[in-house]
Amino acid sequence: MEDANHIMEEFSKNRESFFSHWANTFRNIKSYRFFINQLIKINIQTEFKKSFIGLAWLFIVPILAVVMWVLLNGAGVVDPGDTGIPYPAYVLLSTSIWGFFAEIYKTTSNILKANGRVLLMNKFPYEVLIAEKIIVHFIRFSIPFFVNILVLIFFDVSFTWLALLFPLTLIPLLFMGAAIGLLVALLRIVAIDISNLVDEFIRILMFMTPIVYAPKLSMGWLSEIVRLNPLTYLIGFSRDVLTKGTFYEIEIYFIVAAVALLFFLFSLSIFKIASPKVIERLINN
Amino acid sequence: MSRQTLLTVRNLKKKFSSDIKYNMYYGILDLIYDSFGVKVNQKKLRANEFWALNDVSFDFKEGEILGIVGSNGSGKTTLMRVLSKIYPLEMGTIKGKSGQKIIPIFALRSGMMPLFTGRENIFIKGAMYGMSKAEIKEQMAFIEEFSELGKHLDSPFGNYSSGMKARLGFAVALSTKPDVFIIDEALAVGDSVFKAKCYDYLKDYVKQPGKGVLFVSNNIRKILKVATRVLVMDNGNLIYNSEDITASLNFYISHCLRDLEEGKKQKMLLKIQNYDM
Repeated sequence: MEDANHIMEEFSKNRESFFSHWANTFRNIKSYRFFINQLIKINIQTEFKKSFIGLAWLFIVPILAVVMWVLLNGAGVVDPGDTGIPYPAYVLLSTSIWGFFAEIYKTTSNILKANGRVLLMNKFPYEVLIAEKIIVHFIRFSIPFFVNILVLIFFDVSFTWLALLFPLTLIPLLFMGAAIGLLVALLRIVAIDISNLVDEFIRILMFMTPIVYAPKLSMGWLSEIVRLNPLTYLIGFSRDVLTKGTFYEIEIYFIVAAVALLFFLFSLSIFKIASPKVIERLINN
Repeated sequence: MSRQTLLTVRNLKKKFSSDIKYNMYYGILDLIYDSFGVKVNQKKLRANEFWALNDVSFDFKEGEILGIVGSNGSGKTTLMRVLSKIYPLEMGTIKGKSGQKIIPIFALRSGMMPLFTGRENIFIKGAMYGMSKAEIKEQMAFIEEFSELGKHLDSPFGNYSSGMKARLGFAVALSTKPDVFIIDEALAVGDSVFKAKCYDYLKDYVKQPGKGVLFVSNNIRKILKVATRVLVMDNGNLIYNSEDITASLNFYISHCLRDLEEGKKQKMLLKIQNYDM
């Protein structure tokens, strides 16, 4: 006999309405916020726990990258075009904005593969991992970014008040990187070849985006690719807001930003629906 | 008074692929279907697929420690993963009490971090179970007492012996105080004194209203010690369901352990007959 306190509910079969789907996502993040906290702590501390110089690694890596580009520039290997600000400062800033995109792609695209065993052994909502990755991503980006600002000042780059908008301008880039990453995370389990292809494509994409050269280039086919590449606008807008206090191709930026947001919501929905089914196909459990 | 039902499982089915490439191929197909909301007939097996669970139905009531036995690959863990909502439910129905807390343990150390201390790991694992910081702090005394780890709690988890890891993992899991506890071979490690303490704890635990334990093990001694009812699984089918523990284990040994030598079977059967319930 069932009494009033003992109403039996059927387990869901993934047939949630659009709104309950999103309400669930926020509820899960809220009720697991202490776990998200713990995961952030683990993520930041584990890597540096056994290292003597610890967090300094976050500064060393971008500085080495800048040195390499400056040396190549000095040797005349690359001809960047008119970058507006000193070349080392340009490359430093652009690579770090590119890194913001590429890193969120990398972490989200490995989310199921890296956590597969834990997800098969324990029950917790997947969006917890996504929230953790995004927060850690901002932390990892912001620490070396302060160094970058110092380098920019050293190269006589002046800032306007509009520079304060810079963190906000990165959000569409985050959506874009995470949107691709979440879809690839699913493919990494069931279609490894495709996920490898996308990894390679993202690597090549860097050279098709004005990172180590200026956007206004007369280089034939490359100029056309740069013009069609949505990242040109997402990265260019953030860079110009910070260093020039101007809005680079503002209309196109907002269109691309809106597309990035919709793409992210689409990817997140697919990820939520499909990831439990994909996870059960992990062989090495 | 009749006992409350904690879980009602009806016609549960789950299929897997036995071939790696087909497994991935079907994964891609299902991903595409899901993305476009296409409904597919799941009742049919595709090439190289088999039923990991085939029409499984049973009730699970409060106060029970339900022992689930079956040879390797019989579907025990798959069943537990579906019940704990790790695997999605596709075919069949499962009903549970609204707001019921189901905590599974498949591997006690899973999610614990070797570079962090035992105490830090209590927070990590507790948080993974969905506990808040305040709830974990509230349970800290219980965890310290139950795990009996003393000062070791402040040294790195990676330095613990497997027995110590199991103690801590089990103590944290118990501190979640779930309605349904799923223990899947998780008590295979650790010393016998600690294990005995765990069994006693579980027996007392299910005396509380609304609590029950699903206990997966192939160790007949453990089943004899704790189970109040036994389900026998074989090739994805539930083939025996009885409160007569001795009869259930006899059935399991005679019908499921096909590759076991006859002499060893007889020894096991004798062990059951001589066990003092």
